[in-house]
Amino acid sequence: MSKMVLKTEGDRYVIVTRRFAASPELVFRAHTEPALIQKWLLGPDGWTMPVCVIEPKPGGRIRYEWKDKNGNGFHLTGEVVELNPFSKIVHVERMHLPDPTPDNHIETRFEADGRGTLMTMRMALPNEQARTMMLATGMEHGMEDSYARLEKLL
Amino acid sequence: MQLAEPFEMTQPAISRHLKVLEGARLLTRRVEGTKRPCRLDKKGIKAVEQWLGVLHKALARNYDRLDDVLADLQRTTSKGEPR
Repeated sequence: MSKMVLKTEGDRYVIVTRRFAASPELVFRAHTEPALIQKWLLGPDGWTMPVCVIEPKPGGRIRYEWKDKNGNGFHLTGEVVELNPFSKIVHVERMHLPDPTPDNHIETRFEADGRGTLMTMRMALPNEQARTMMLATGMEHGMEDSYARLEKLL
Repeated sequence: MQLAEPFEMTQPAISRHLKVLEGARLLTRRVEGTKRPCRLDKKGIKAVEQWLGVLHKALARNYDRLDDVLADLQRTTSKGEPR
């Protein structure tokens, strides 16, 4: 259906585009209301977000905490820079793994597209050290997913 | 020097670009007398591709879940009252 496209812009940025079958207002709300964010911003299967704080205003605080089923986890902190209902969110975020990754400046736009929404997210490509830290977490999760699938097959 | 020839850029500008690539470990430079031969670092480039692959997978999974959240929201908002 609506496939996500991820591409690089130069060697510094990553651009993600995705269409949704809902209005920009609903897609914007799903990005700014904690009770909604906790339902989808989870990464690999089996993860939950027990703590989700986002103050939807410029300068507002962001804190997301994730946990897997074994109780392992990490958290992210950030600040809202600009908020333009229901078309644009600009925020800064860093993951604590547990050392903080460099601040990433992320711009997310929502445009009406027929009866749905086209979302465009632009973020900086993290440097090598940050990628390695994130990969160490992500790879672990990827492996776990593969084992879970293998178990289902056996 | 050779690398600057095809571009309308000064030698110092080219050097700055190469330095950024080197800093990102996408390029390695050797010293051979007065020459500084460059080589693309395949390991560095592969690491970026691998990272983008992991990011793609995680985001795609999130947005598939978001589709379900939005479908639920639409059902509840069209009824006027949240469930």
